[in-house]
Amino acid sequence: MTDKLMSATGLSVSFGSRAQRIAAVRDVSLTLGAGESIGIVGESGSGKSTLARILAGLQRPDAGTVLFRGQPVYANGQAYAGDLRRQVQMVFQDPYGSLNPRMTALAAVAEACRFHDSCAAAAAQEKSLRLLASMGITPEDARKKPRALSGGQRQRVSVARALCANPSILVADEPTSAIDQSAQAQLLNLFNGLIGRGLAIVLISHDLAVIRYLAKRVYVMCEGVFVESGTTLDVFDRPQHAYTKALIASIPGRKPRQTRP
Amino acid sequence: MTAAPLVDIRDLKIGIERGRGEKLVVVDSASLRLRRGEMLGLIGESGSGKTMLCRSLIGTLRRRGAVILSGSILFGDLDLAQADERIWRDVRGRRVGYVPQSALAGPNPVMTIGAQLGEAIRRNASGDSSAVASRARELLDIVRIRRPDVVLKQYPNQLSGGMRQRVMIACAIAQSPELLVADEPTTGLDVTVQAEIMKLLRDIRTDMGMSIMLVSHDLALVDAVCDQIVVMHAGACVESGAVDQVAAPLHPYTAALNRSRIELAIPGSELVTIKGQSPAVGSWQPGCRFAERCGIVQADCRVGGHPPLVGPASGHRTSCLHPELMAAMP
Amino acid sequence: MIAGAATRPYREGRIGIAVGTTMLVAMLAAGLLVPLLSAYHPNELIAIPFQSPSWEFLFGTDQLGRDVFTRVFAAVYRDLGVAFLGVSIPLVIGTAVGILLSIAHNRILVALIASLIDAINALPLLVLAIALIALFGPGLQSIVLVLAMTNWARYARIARTRATLVNQQAYIEAARLLGYPRSRILLRHFVPNVSSETVAYALSDFILVIMLIAGLSFLSLGAAPPTAEWGVMMSEGRPFVQNAWWMTIFPGLALCWAGIALSFIAEGLSRRERGPGG
Repeated sequence: MTDKLMSATGLSVSFGSRAQRIAAVRDVSLTLGAGESIGIVGESGSGKSTLARILAGLQRPDAGTVLFRGQPVYANGQAYAGDLRRQVQMVFQDPYGSLNPRMTALAAVAEACRFHDSCAAAAAQEKSLRLLASMGITPEDARKKPRALSGGQRQRVSVARALCANPSILVADEPTSAIDQSAQAQLLNLFNGLIGRGLAIVLISHDLAVIRYLAKRVYVMCEGVFVESGTTLDVFDRPQHAYTKALIASIPGRKPRQTRP
Repeated sequence: MTAAPLVDIRDLKIGIERGRGEKLVVVDSASLRLRRGEMLGLIGESGSGKTMLCRSLIGTLRRRGAVILSGSILFGDLDLAQADERIWRDVRGRRVGYVPQSALAGPNPVMTIGAQLGEAIRRNASGDSSAVASRARELLDIVRIRRPDVVLKQYPNQLSGGMRQRVMIACAIAQSPELLVADEPTTGLDVTVQAEIMKLLRDIRTDMGMSIMLVSHDLALVDAVCDQIVVMHAGACVESGAVDQVAAPLHPYTAALNRSRIELAIPGSELVTIKGQSPAVGSWQPGCRFAERCGIVQADCRVGGHPPLVGPASGHRTSCLHPELMAAMP
Repeated sequence: MIAGAATRPYREGRIGIAVGTTMLVAMLAAGLLVPLLSAYHPNELIAIPFQSPSWEFLFGTDQLGRDVFTRVFAAVYRDLGVAFLGVSIPLVIGTAVGILLSIAHNRILVALIASLIDAINALPLLVLAIALIALFGPGLQSIVLVLAMTNWARYARIARTRATLVNQQAYIEAARLLGYPRSRILLRHFVPNVSSETVAYALSDFILVIMLIAGLSFLSLGAAPPTAEWGVMMSEGRPFVQNAWWMTIFPGLALCWAGIALSFIAEGLSRRERGPGG
């Protein structure tokens, strides 16, 4: 257990007034190793986004613990206090709200760069331009404000900004849901490359194709609980739980048609 | 079956008014044929013009500041491209039904389901209320909503997203139209709900002989449920044909879309991406608009107007000038 | 989304902004130069009263024999300057209060201040202003004071609504995740996105406040004679409108000019925000 990068045990959180409480997450446990990619798949209302926020330190759970490298994340004060904060970063679903509309892409990334590397403004700009270029954002596009960029480009800028903190874990909450198919492929290739370089990724999605492609292990979530978990191959080929079976069965055309290359 | 198509769109060109007589062309060289009782999937990325094409079939272009610049939309005995508002008022709802995107529009939040269905059934004519009520129940039954008497009294916010879409479908088919246009009807809905709605649409097609035009960005979905696929890129229809035919594509864009499908990729391998981005409206170059992103582009691809769809009338058509080079694609 | 259209540099609204700014700059320049270069002093009783416009007195003379032309332009900085204060002070106070309200934790305090804001906003500004000036006594300083005390509430409401919205945006959460200190998040990410809304409102408010100042002065509640101020001038000219129309018309035109210039700018900016097809 101690060699796991992150582990969560018995997480629970509920919302609402005293009269009507809705349990968004109920007694959820998971583990994540360094450089590993796990997926959390579920439909709307399953609680997966809330779980993502708990793991990232944005939502304090009512019960349960989250350990990062053996240290509790939700200690008395703030979550991920001090230097720990940069270790877990997040990519959000909505590319349109993920970037400050008044800052250019370059400015947003350079700000993160300067903050985390305490380098001079010019050096930070250099680094940011190179980082963005490695993600397919040209220097010309980098100087644009978010409204002039496409959804896929905005997501990649968000990832670049998150990487400036040099995190060990990236939590991606439905990163591909709001962008075009070709932009999805680009983003997933990017994630793949990052996994290859040692970044651990928690991928939250309702899109089973994306999960199957990127995640080595998967947790299936339904109404706040994990109903099944295992390696992606196992869960997809031999689903055990009724809900998992229903999910797999509703993937359009399980059998791909023959395509001539 | 070589019966005349229900919908025959030929070289449609749509532009947006930009003030001072200027028009920004958003659809150019769009052609497609939809037969009776057929389900057609219109595939395209955002900016491809598929929504505009959709609007031209239900006559809401003018409301959006767009006009048809040239081309024709033959629908039975009418040319909808020439239709004025009077004709549209008759066609809309009665001959062409529309199901909007689930995330954007939906049933009117301040009316009960029963009231809205009643509106769709009556269509401004007064109706015997018991006949209307029984037709409403019949429609809810077609769209597989259980306990119709309860649902008729409910308001949209009491229903789930999937049920709301079923209600929209019920309203759209209330007049038994010949054509149903569904613009991304399952976007934003859970995948299990999506599967049910798609099955429902297929059954409506089979049982009621209705033609359905399904607009989507999801190739896997369209592949699984539709009879015909039409692929749009940068405002033009670049390929069309039966689903099996398009699986062996004759246009580089379709081939690239096929190859970049995530569900067919080997986990962990590099996903194929399509180079570049589709040219933004207003900056279209002459010739084929896929030229900048194409792996087999030739000199003649960049001249003249956008190549039209060519091929057998009811078969596999492509706008690529050099489909024979596709075997050699990287 | 049509990415290409948005990347075209702000073509929309350019004409409006250009025209409005030119008009405003022209007025400000004239407000500076005319009193400086004019042969007459705005308060000097140098000539025969009620002279109609001529080459010597371009806008004629008023009931005390003062040159209307010089007076109209001497009033520029007074009217616009007081209006500027009457807008910028509420802008700053209101934006700050609105932002603080949206991030405060003390529910009771928030509820109290929110009720105060609602109460102030419920009353028409003009009526409130007149009532308060009755308390403080007439004068331009009173107007600025009254505006500072009341107009901030309108800005606070806008700022609070906007701040609540911005607070929920992912980029604010991303900033927290990146470990930015609260001060940085507040100043670099929060405030600029909230104030963009209040500053836009301030521009249209500016026009209203100019009218308010002139109006109050017209009612003898603002600037007092012999001050050169458009409202005062129109008030003084009112009894003589039939015979000496120039005393009222020219200050009125100056007021219109300022209002139209600012309207052009405001419309141009809002067109730019909306983008093409807006």
